[in-house]
Amino acid sequence: MATATTLGKSHAHGSFTRPSLVSVGTIVWLSSELMFFAALFAIYFTIRSVNPVWPMPVRGPGTPPVKLETAFDGAITIVLVLSSVTCQLGVFAAEERRLRRSGSIFRVSSWGLREWYILTLIMGAIFVSGQCYEYTRYVTDYHEGLNGMTISSSAYGSIFYLATGFHAMHVTGGLIAFVFLMLRLSKGRFTPEKVTSAVVVSYYWHFVDVVWIGLFSTIFLIK
Amino acid sequence: MKTEGFLFTGWAAFFAIVDVVYWYTSHDPTGTTALALTVGLAFLVGFFLFVTGRRTGLRPEDRPDADISEGAGEYGFFPSNSWWPLFLAASSAIAALGVVFAWWLLLVGLMLVLISACGFILEYYRGVHTPR
Repeated sequence: MATATTLGKSHAHGSFTRPSLVSVGTIVWLSSELMFFAALFAIYFTIRSVNPVWPMPVRGPGTPPVKLETAFDGAITIVLVLSSVTCQLGVFAAEERRLRRSGSIFRVSSWGLREWYILTLIMGAIFVSGQCYEYTRYVTDYHEGLNGMTISSSAYGSIFYLATGFHAMHVTGGLIAFVFLMLRLSKGRFTPEKVTSAVVVSYYWHFVDVVWIGLFSTIFLIK
Repeated sequence: MKTEGFLFTGWAAFFAIVDVVYWYTSHDPTGTTALALTVGLAFLVGFFLFVTGRRTGLRPEDRPDADISEGAGEYGFFPSNSWWPLFLAASSAIAALGVVFAWWLLLVGLMLVLISACGFILEYYRGVHTPR
């Protein structure tokens, strides 16, 4: 068994004879996270099935439904989906043991794990900021008597903020994970153990991205 | 790892069939959604096992002619002991109590969560463990 002092020398993470325990654990945990989101999807479809008018009227029967910022949300969704691409390019760089860029910052082909992950971090931050902006729009619209919503204005508002909010918390958690990974990458050599960490963070990021595609289609696209 | 892969994708197929039968017999959206994502749960693990199995090749436990000794070697990194999970749990509890009782307590709790998370994650990267 490896002890603390052999962390830098550990080869088990890069081993090709058996899967890394860290990635197996991450996948099992992510599959349980999927059931967490299953509960939120189930709430959404249950509320939807018992309400004949959808989206639900903002202020009781007969009033207009909530006005969703579909175009704006579509734009930040594209940013999030593209951040999955940059994340994967970072993983490819990590697997080729390229931690830093080898040329100018404008030569994208020379980018290493660090550059790709910082770009992913920025794109993820754009997504969360966009979502916060969208929330403020809905809340102020509601308080000004327009077609907005708050978490307590209706069952629709509750599940909207619960589902998208829990997802935004996951994205924020991913951003924190990127920061912690950067801190670890700045210490010592680029060991196989750090490559594994980068790979499992990318698993999490792709998972959050796929869940958002599901949530976005459910809430914004399927009428 | 084909056996494990087939085990989990088999579950995915089973849940998919159950989901369709469930929808046609009950028309209940709640259970149908939960079952549909259970398909995802089983498929995610199965897909990962297939892809990883192709990359790592046959493990000793996959081959009938393998010796016990072939399974020897490092399995991963296991820290000897750590106090940080205790601090992390305690600070998470303070943050959760902050949501219930007072928002200022949440801020204090989140600060403590940040400190203990840093301590937990970076424990083997500082002090005597600083990698060279």
